[in-house]
Formats: sequence, structure tokens, C-alpha cells
Amino acid sequence: MFDVGALLWAIPGLPLLAAGVTACLGPNLLKRQSHWPVILGSAGSCAVSVILLFALATSPGQKPALEAPGLSDWFSIGDFQLPLTLQADSLSAVMLLAITFVGTMIAIFSSYYMAHEDGYPRYFAVMGLFLAAMTGLVLASNFLVLYAFWEGVGLCSYLLVGFWFQKPAAAAAARKAFLVTRIGDAGFILGIMILWQRYGSFDYSVVFQRASANPHGLELPCLLLFCGAIGKSAQFPLHVWLPDAMEGPTPASALIHAATMVTAGVYLLARCAHLFALTPTTQLVVSCVGGFTALLAALIALTQHDLKRVLAYSTVSQLGFMFLGLGAGLRDNGLAVFAASAAIFHLFTHAFFKALLFMTAGSIMNSMGHVIDMRRFGGLRRVLPVTHWTFLCGALALAGLAPFAGFWSKDQILEAVLHAGHQSEAYGTIYMGLFAVALFTAGLTAFYTFRAYFRTFWGAERIPEEAYHHGHGHDTEDHGSSKHRFETTLAQKFPLVVLAIGAVVIGAILGAPHWINALLARSTAFVFAKSSPEFHVNWWLVIGSTVCASAGIGLAAWMYLIKPALADKLAAAAPSLHRASTQRFYFDELYTFAVVKPLAVFALVMRFFDSIVDGIVDLVGMFPRWFARFLRTVQDGLVQSYTLIMLVFLTAFLAIFVLWTR
Amino acid sequence: MTLFKDMAAFVAAYWMVLLPMALAVAALTWLLPRPRGRSIGRGAACGLAALLAGGALLFRSGRSVTPETVLFYAFAGMAILGGVFLIVQRNPARAAISFAVVVMNVGGIFLLQAAPFLMAATLIIYAGAIIVTFLFVLMLAQQTGFSNADDRSREPFLAAFAGFMLLGVLLIGLLRSYPESQTLARTIERLESTRDQASLQEIRSRLGDSTEIVRLLRHEAMRRGGSSRVIDFENAVIDLEAVLGSGQAGVEQIRLRIDEVCQAGHALIRQDEPKPLPAANTKALGLSLFSEHLFAVEMGGTLLLVATIGAIAIAGRRAEATT
Amino acid sequence: MMPLANYLVLGAVLFVLGAIGFLTRRNLIIMFLCAELMLQGVTINLVAFARQHGNMTGQVFTLFILTVAACEAALALALILMLYRRRKSLDVSLWQDLREPGLDSSVDADAPLEEPLPESLPKLTPAGLEPDQTPEDTYV
Repeated sequence: MFDVGALLWAIPGLPLLAAGVTACLGPNLLKRQSHWPVILGSAGSCAVSVILLFALATSPGQKPALEAPGLSDWFSIGDFQLPLTLQADSLSAVMLLAITFVGTMIAIFSSYYMAHEDGYPRYFAVMGLFLAAMTGLVLASNFLVLYAFWEGVGLCSYLLVGFWFQKPAAAAAARKAFLVTRIGDAGFILGIMILWQRYGSFDYSVVFQRASANPHGLELPCLLLFCGAIGKSAQFPLHVWLPDAMEGPTPASALIHAATMVTAGVYLLARCAHLFALTPTTQLVVSCVGGFTALLAALIALTQHDLKRVLAYSTVSQLGFMFLGLGAGLRDNGLAVFAASAAIFHLFTHAFFKALLFMTAGSIMNSMGHVIDMRRFGGLRRVLPVTHWTFLCGALALAGLAPFAGFWSKDQILEAVLHAGHQSEAYGTIYMGLFAVALFTAGLTAFYTFRAYFRTFWGAERIPEEAYHHGHGHDTEDHGSSKHRFETTLAQKFPLVVLAIGAVVIGAILGAPHWINALLARSTAFVFAKSSPEFHVNWWLVIGSTVCASAGIGLAAWMYLIKPALADKLAAAAPSLHRASTQRFYFDELYTFAVVKPLAVFALVMRFFDSIVDGIVDLVGMFPRWFARFLRTVQDGLVQSYTLIMLVFLTAFLAIFVLWTR
Repeated sequence: MTLFKDMAAFVAAYWMVLLPMALAVAALTWLLPRPRGRSIGRGAACGLAALLAGGALLFRSGRSVTPETVLFYAFAGMAILGGVFLIVQRNPARAAISFAVVVMNVGGIFLLQAAPFLMAATLIIYAGAIIVTFLFVLMLAQQTGFSNADDRSREPFLAAFAGFMLLGVLLIGLLRSYPESQTLARTIERLESTRDQASLQEIRSRLGDSTEIVRLLRHEAMRRGGSSRVIDFENAVIDLEAVLGSGQAGVEQIRLRIDEVCQAGHALIRQDEPKPLPAANTKALGLSLFSEHLFAVEMGGTLLLVATIGAIAIAGRRAEATT
Repeated sequence: MMPLANYLVLGAVLFVLGAIGFLTRRNLIIMFLCAELMLQGVTINLVAFARQHGNMTGQVFTLFILTVAACEAALALALILMLYRRRKSLDVSLWQDLREPGLDSSVDADAPLEEPLPESLPKLTPAGLEPDQTPEDTYV
């Protein structure tokens, strides 16, 4: 047909253009219509992604890839050249589809959510910039360009989390997010540099080729790359920023901290699956970290009262799942391909249902007048019907109940871990342990998800006072009537419905016939896969995970629907555990004590040194001033003084001329 | 140490300039008007001493006393005295009259330098127009004679010191550039006298130290710059030196070289003397003015016009005139 | 013939005397006269050089100096008149406004001398009255 390769530039280009247009024309011209450029841009991007996906899916080659021409020497130092080109294979296509589709839905939703906020154009400009950076990250063809876009999404995350920057909590949260991910990024760039030093290139294919020829000592760079993924994807120990990042607007949280940016780490590991598959120890570390994080986050989410926090911790937990799956990718029998594709599949479905859940939370929050504490509202299923049903779809997907989306992807991950447990010689027992942890966490996931669901939508109907003072589509004279319309605009309902449909059917469509695994197996990231993996359904696993999920849902229903007092009694029975969970296992306090305070002291010492240096500089600056004060006395306003000076210098000049020369 | 030695050597070399300057500084410090400490007697004495010492500097013994000399010293002396009166008078009207005296004497100097038209022009314009205008303004402004400000002078000592330092530098420079120029004439005379001797030995004995003579001649040549006559003179001196230095030169050769040197030397001496100016001074002035310097004349006319307009514009506000 | 140097010395002396007068005196008119004195020194120099070189250029230059001096006198006197009108005095020390801010203006250290009394003008007795006959009044 036509050259889809050249179209690749449209995928990051359209949102970038939209961001530019919104930034320049938004404040004065577009004002409350500033959402149109970004919505159109991301929709266009989505269309191109679909075209790309079809082109790759129907392409006959074994590992089809498309390359977009760019700058072949973006910068060159000596005879080292770094090209700026875009490259797309099936892995990129899947990610792009998720990013752009969910992004478009969130952009539409944002036009409702942010409708009465100041800085409306700024929000959309940053969102456009974010979409451009994220798609660029996925399309990068070498590590440095990836890193550049990595930083770009970090910047946009900072800008969006700190959107209401006048609020100190939001500004602090933005700073925290940026700094914590920075720690990960430091490791990331170190890893890239070690790879470059060892293999002499930044390009993916070149590095993979040379690494498979010479895999010694690959653990260190892989660990460092994983360090970057830990930071960006909020794994233990750098998970502390994600819950605080909920200070940002909810659609931003949906986009960035649920669906896309935090999945950049997963994408990185999937892209470098070749490298990681060569180092089983690193894979073990990845799995352990992922599993531990999943469990930790699930335990914290059990007791949170803030709905958004629950969802944030559940994101951390699901990301842990993805890393658990990635880490199960051992070299043999195409398990690496299967594990990685399972993780990406979970990323894909997670994008849908987590974004959906966040958007419903946003809908609730907006309708309840910016109240998101579950203790203050309840029984909202009649007041917010569309929100209720879509939340239910998302919750079922998250809980992993068949045939909703989450079931298929989570199942594949569990299967991969089980295979690893069977097949790994050195670490088999550890993987089995991780499998058990994963099953338990799946149960916990179902539990806390439905805890949130029942507390929000069932029970006695309670609507907080702020809901009536907030101007979102209700008549102020009609207090107390259940005929309030909290859900008004199409922009509010349409994305929720679309994503809910996705959350329901995507998993079944892609996962049941293993289409997505076949598609991902054709990615150039999996150069070593000689045989495509075989798929047979492990019925025991299916039954086991369904039992766990149902148990979780049932327990939640019993504790929060039927016997509401039971929760408090359980909490009182184990007060220290409960408090540890509520206080997020004291990680923030630990970091403040161990890291932040020493750094603050250090900064104080440095400031003292700096004041000395400044003092010296100021002293040097004082010399002209003192000299001038001395010289200034010459100007006394009398003509005769001036003439005297002229005469004296004339004499001096003549004297030098006459007496010294000749 | 060398600094002191250099300074001592300097003072020793130029004491005849520094002495009149020091006396003049003292004189003016006492003469310049001030409320207390003004001593006219002492100042006048010092001033006369300075004038005489300075005059001695100019005086060259051995020259004939011509009317020009007498007139020069008279005019110069009276001009300087007029200048000093101008500076030290308290009464501004008297100062203006002293300026008129200076102008008249400067006119006399112009006459001595064959510039009669300029003398007339200076007298008419300065003494006739400018001083009268000044006196008019003075009468308008200070009818009561002299005011407080006239009684005081600003830093008389420092100003006198600075001024006479400048004069000292100028005089030292002049002294070095125009020393007693009889050296060349006398040396040429000596050469001419030795030329007519009969034999070689007598020539040589009369010549005396030939290297000394050659050195003097070369110094004189160097002093006078690099014009073509000087170059000719230098070449002649070099030839003479060569001839005198070699042992077997004949009398005729030596005489030849001496003749050449004397000829070139006379040309140089002629160059030093002032050249005659045309007697029809006004005509020559007019010719030069309106042919070579026509543009400047036009600019001068424009300048006068602009100055007139400017003066009228500045001072012509009758409405502001206060009684 | 007087050597050239003598005339140059005379020119230098007049110039320096004018410079000293300009630096020292405080009356605007006298300052200006001293400036003219400096110009006289310069013209002596120019005419001497004209004589030395034997051409008219020096005298022509002098003529232009004369022209410029005339213009300068006219404008300077106009300006002096304007300054006088503002402060009613010809003292140049009154005009110190261009000094650096923060520096004190220089004022006379001594107390001003007493104004010399204006000469007393003769008093005429009004018509019809006997003048006071004091012995001092009777001399002409």
C-alpha cells in the first residue's frame, strides 16, 4: 500500500503538534475549547497505530518491523553517530495501540473533568506532550533516544502531578515523584553506558547481537536497567511516589500512573528481554522484586480509605505482577517469549481496566465535590448509574474473574511463573514460592477491589455536603432529591462505556486464542525465539485462580455488604498490623529519616560553603565600588578642577614625550 | 638610588629652566589675589627675577644686537607683564585693559615677523571689538567694581605649579630641539680654515681630533631630521671620515672632501634661517587665502553667521530681562 | 635674526599664563580673557612658524583663529549674560551642580569680606530748603 514507515512520525508528531497548538493558541484563542487539538491529535495517532498494527499483523515476514526515516546522524562525535529514527515492530504496535486509545479516551474524559479548572489549556498541552513522549519512547530505535523520551515522560508526569502547584501537597508530590524516579534513572543511564562501553553501540539489534555472542558479566547492566524500571514503574523500594502522585488531576493519574508511564519500565524489560533472558539471576531478582511489591502493595491497599489511593496501590501491585511475569522468562522452550508476552498482555488489559477505574473514581470525585474518602459517601449506585456499572466491569476485570479481561492476562502470568518454577534448575523453588505469593495476591486484589466497590456503591446512600456546592450539572434548589443528575455530559459517560466494553471483551478476544502471544512473538525483541511457544490450558490453574478471586470477592461482600461491623472488629483485633498497613508500612517515614534528612543536613552544609564562595565573589565585586568612591571625588562640578586635571595630564603626556623618548 | 642620581643629573642639566620656573611659581603665589597672605612686593620681586632669568635663557652671546633684538625683548617683556597684570588684577575692568596691552604687544611681535596685516587685524578685532564687548558686559554685571569672588583665587599655588610645570616641560623640549645652533656654523668655519693650509700635516694638525669633528657634524645632521639636504650632508661627512681615516689619502682628496662638507653644511645653515616672506603681505595673504584655503574661508563665514544667530538666540530674551 | 626658539618661548609663556589665570580666577569675564590670552600665545607660535618656513599658511591659520575667537567671544558673552541673569553674579563657583551626588559643594573658607561701601552719591536738598552747611560739604 503506502509507506507506513513514513507514517510512523505521525504517531508522536500529531500529539506534539496538538500540544504546541494548545500551548500557543490555548490561553487566548481556544480557551475552553483547548481540548480539541489534543483529542484530535491522539485520535489521529490511534488511527495510525491501528494501521500500523494491521500492517504488521498482515505482513508476511517472520519478524516484521517498520522503520521510519529520520536523522541518521542526530549527533555525531568523531566517528560515533547517533541516529534519530523510529522503529516499530509488533511489540511497539501493541503498546502504541494501548497508549493512544486509552489516551484518546482520557482526553475526552478530561474535557469534562477539568472543565471548570484554571489552566485548562496548560493541562491539555502537557497531556499532548506526554502522549508524544510516550509514543516516542515506544518507537525509539536505540537506548539513548529511549532515555531521552523516558525523561520526557518523567517531566510530563511532574508537570501534571503538580498541576495545582499552588497547593503545597501537590508541589511536594510532584517533586517526590520526579526525584524518586530520578534515582532509578541514574541507574538506568549507568546501565546504558555500560552496555555501550561493552558492546560499542546504542542500537537495540546491535547490542542484542553482540550480547548473545558475549554474555559474560551481563548481570550488572541488566540490573541497572531494571533499576530504571523500578523507579519509573514504582516497584519496591522506589514505590513511594505513586500514591502521593494522586494529588494530580484524576485523568492525569489515569493516563500516567495507571496506563502508560508506569508501564514504560515493563516495556523496557520486554524490549530487552533478550538481554535479560541471558542472565537468569537478574530474572530472578526481577521476579522477586515484582512479587514482593505486588504483595506489599496489596497489603497496604487493604486498609486505605481514599479510593484513589486504593487504585494507586493496586496499580503498584499489578505492575509487580507484570514484573513477576517478565522475570519468569527463562531461555528454554520459548518460555521467555511466553512470559514476556504474558506481561505485555497484562499491561494491555491493565491499561484498559485501570484507566477505567481511575476515570470512574474521577467521575465520583467530581460529582461528590472533590471528596474521595470512602468513609464520607456510600450507596452511590443509584445516583451514578453509568459510573456504577463501568466500575463494576473494571473491578471484575481487575479481580481477574473469568471471562473478564484481567483473568486471561493474569492467568498467563501465573502460568509462566509456574512453568519457570518447574523448569528452572537453580531457582525452581523460589519461583514456586513466588507462584504461591502471586495466587495469594490475586485473592487480595479481588478483596480490596470489591471492598472499595461495596463501600462506594452499596450500603446506605450518603452524599457529602460538598457535592451540592460544586457546580457540576445540578440545580441548586433541589436539595436532597435523588433526582440529582450527577452524570451529565457525554464526555463523562462515553469514555467510561467504551473502556468498560474493552475491559470486558479485550481479554477474551486477545487471550483465549492466544492471538496476542503470537503477535508479540513476532517482535524483533525476541530474536532468540526459534520456536513459537505451545499453549495448552492448565485447567488446574484456571480453577485455582477463579477460586482465589471468588473467595476474595465473597469475603469482601460478606465484610462490607452483609456484616459491615466485621471490618472494624478485625481491625481492632490486630491493631499493629492494621496500623502498619494504614501507614503504608512506614516506608515514607523510613526514607525521610534515612535519606531525606541527611541530605537536608548536607545541603545546609553546602549552603554554608556556598555563602563563603558568594562572599568572596561579592568582596571582589566591592573593589570597583570602593575604587569608584575614591575616584568619584574628582567630579566636583567645578570647571576649573576639570581644567586643572586636563592641564596636569597634558603636562605628563608632554613630559613623557619630551623627556623619555629621544 | 639610580632614581635619585637620575633626578640629580636632570636638575643639573636643566637648572637654567627650573630656576626661573620656581621663581615664577613663588611670584604668582604671592601675586594672585586672596584675602590674606597676598604680598605684592615679594611677588613683584620674584616675578622680575624670574623674567630676567628667563630672558637670560633666551639671550645668546655672540650675536649682534639688532633693532629686532631690542624690539623683541621690549615687546615680549611688556606682553608678559601685561599677561601677569591680567591674571593678578582684582578689578576686572583693569584686567581687561591689561589684556589690551597684551594684544598691542603681540601686534608688535607680529610686525617683527613680517605680518602687518595680522597686526592690524588683531588690534582691530581684539582691542577694538572683543575687549569693548567685555567691558560692556562687565559694566552691565558688576557696576560696583569688584565683588567677593574677585578677591579670591582658587588654589593659587597648585595652579601656578601645574602651569609652570607645563611651561618647564615645554621649555626643556624647546631647549633640546633648538639648542645653540652655532655649533654647525663654527665647525664649518673651522673646516674652511683648515682647508687652505698647505700641506697634509698642517691640515691634520689644524684639524686636530678628526673623530671629534666628525661626531659633531653627524650629531648636527641627526638633529635636523631626514630631508634630502641632510642626507647629502651626511654622505659628505661619511666620505670625509673615510678619507681622513685611511692613511694614504692625498691633500687634494682631503681638500675635495672638505669642500663638499662645507658646501652641504652651508646649505643646512641656510635652511635653518628664516626665509623671506613677500613684502606685499596683504596681497600674498589674500592670494593664499582665496586660492588654497577657499573652503576654509567659506566655512569661516558660515561659522560667523551661525555664531551670530546663536548669540541672538541665547541672549535675546527681552521678556526675561530683569531690572 | 632672532632664532625661532625665542618666539616659541614667548608663545609658551603667554599660553601658560593664560592657563594659570583660567584655573585661578573666579570671575567669568576674567576667565574668558585668560582663554583669549592662551589664544594669543598660539598665534605668536603660528606666525613665527610662518616666518620660518616662508609661506603664508601660518598667517592664514592665525586669521581663522581670529575669526573663531570672535565667534567664541560672542557666544561666550551671551552665555555669561544668561548665567548672570540667573544668579546675579559672575562667580563661577556658583555653578557646581554637575558634581557627584553626595559630594559637598566647595564654599569659601573665609568669611566673606565686607562689601566695599559704594561710593556715596551726593545728596541734593529738596527745592526750597537751606542745605545743611557743614564744612565738609563745602568743597567741590
